[in-house]
Amino acid sequence: MSAAATTFMAGRMGLDRKRMRGIGLGAIPFLVLLGAWELNTFMGWLKPVYIPPLRAVVDAVFTLQEGCSALGILGMHESCLFTNHILSSLGRVGLGLVVGVPLGIGLGVLAGMSRRLSNAMEPVGVFANAISGIAWVPLAIVWFGVGWFTTLFILLNTVFWLVFFNTLLGVRSVPRTYEHSVLTLGGNRWHIISQVYIPGALPSIVTGVRMGIGFGWRALIAAEMIGGNTGLGFMIFVSANEYKVEEVFLGVLLIGIIWMVTDRIILVPLEKWTIERWGLVWRPS
Amino acid sequence: MTTVSAPAAPARRDRKHPRLHRFLHQGGLELACVLLGGLALWSFLSHVVIPRPDRYLPSPGSVVFSSADMLWKGLLPDFVTNTVWRLLIGSGLGLGVGIPFGILLGLNRTVSDMFYPILNFFQSISGIALLPIVMIWWGTSEQTVIFVILYTVLFPISFNVLVGVRSIPRIYINALRTLGASRLQIARDVILPGALPSIATGARLGIGFGWRAVIAGEMLAGQRGLGWMIFTAQQVDLTAQVILGMTLIGIMWIVLDRYLLRPLEADTIQRWGLVQR
Repeated sequence: MSAAATTFMAGRMGLDRKRMRGIGLGAIPFLVLLGAWELNTFMGWLKPVYIPPLRAVVDAVFTLQEGCSALGILGMHESCLFTNHILSSLGRVGLGLVVGVPLGIGLGVLAGMSRRLSNAMEPVGVFANAISGIAWVPLAIVWFGVGWFTTLFILLNTVFWLVFFNTLLGVRSVPRTYEHSVLTLGGNRWHIISQVYIPGALPSIVTGVRMGIGFGWRALIAAEMIGGNTGLGFMIFVSANEYKVEEVFLGVLLIGIIWMVTDRIILVPLEKWTIERWGLVWRPS
Repeated sequence: MTTVSAPAAPARRDRKHPRLHRFLHQGGLELACVLLGGLALWSFLSHVVIPRPDRYLPSPGSVVFSSADMLWKGLLPDFVTNTVWRLLIGSGLGLGVGIPFGILLGLNRTVSDMFYPILNFFQSISGIALLPIVMIWWGTSEQTVIFVILYTVLFPISFNVLVGVRSIPRIYINALRTLGASRLQIARDVILPGALPSIATGARLGIGFGWRAVIAGEMLAGQRGLGWMIFTAQQVDLTAQVILGMTLIGIMWIVLDRYLLRPLEADTIQRWGLVQR
């Protein structure tokens, strides 16, 4: 009974033989790498200042979190250095998405509705996307000073322009026939937006959101290094200046893991859902 | 007869200036309005609203003037060539290592299943995040910046090539094998052409990330170039130079992307894309 239940659960979670084999195979290079890392520490080939021992990296979590309680993590108590940095980075990503995505979609739909305006805004979007990210950091520091808002600005700037640009292209690519048929059936402007433009542009919007998060996360880390005073990017930069290599390694590994988890849990399903639900695979023109 | 020539007149004008005509009819006027409006707003803000325009928002005129100043001193061409060189060397090395690596890993199903997750993992650690570690290894040297670009280019390209090689239908390889082709022939005639579209896509993606890494690397590792220029200009309050640098960074990326990478990708996909299906 329990065996059957386990099999059932495994089946539901998609953990069939093929997937298990993939996970097992995929783990091999990671294990080899970890083994080589441990071996390096054991043999003393590269000094700990270049490659810190694996143990030291794990210990760094406890050093950074010293004197921190579970409640302190949630309250972002100042003794919880490590989780504070993670939470402030993630908080910025959350805020950047909550503000940047609706703004980008809204303005993108508005601009995409008029063919002439969208033609005019396209080069502007291309240019803004070409500068967005790290190149804004110095100007943002001049405007907002080093700190929270500078990093948020960099993220918002990256997310907004990518979402805006892709929404605009998506709305423009919706065939005019659909719009006309809704109008013929007595629909008003709002119907066109909600029933034609947004569903039609959705695959493109999702691509924009996905790219926005991808580029935004990278830009955010860089912005935190140069113009921030909290966050994972700030943590690895300061630790590197103090030669606390184990903290740098910890931060870098976490940056990779956070991105992979976000990609796996949010972005890939989102894209799959859009394509399945709306059936259109968006082709970039 | 006259009725025929009347509608023909605008058509002849179109042929005379087809580009201008297309430009004007595809939102060129609106674009000009948007640009002029933006510039006017910028000048207005800088001259009237902002308290210390030199520091917070220099006028477009002073940005242009700062470029003249830097051109005359010969700094700007230096910075631009330095940055471009770094990108070329870094991404050249990245492509040179990444493409063969991706092809080799993609050849065997088991091997590619094995390396797919780890490549994805390293792809998701951006080169900029790695910069502090590399700076501990090699200090703030040229090597550091080049390595970061190489790293940033390497993983997107090898990941994409691996996926591309995997997606080549087995039937083509089997067909060639039945006809008595050697391993080398299969690699040359099936795998390489089949992987070309994903090589082109991966290259564009990788170089795009690489371009951002150059800018960040120059800022943090203090190597002279455009990124360094805007970073140091900010520290000494030369905001006009910061805006000039940003504009140049944008323009250079557009030129690189629109006129080199995108056409290359599109042509490759057009020429070789059928092989995949």
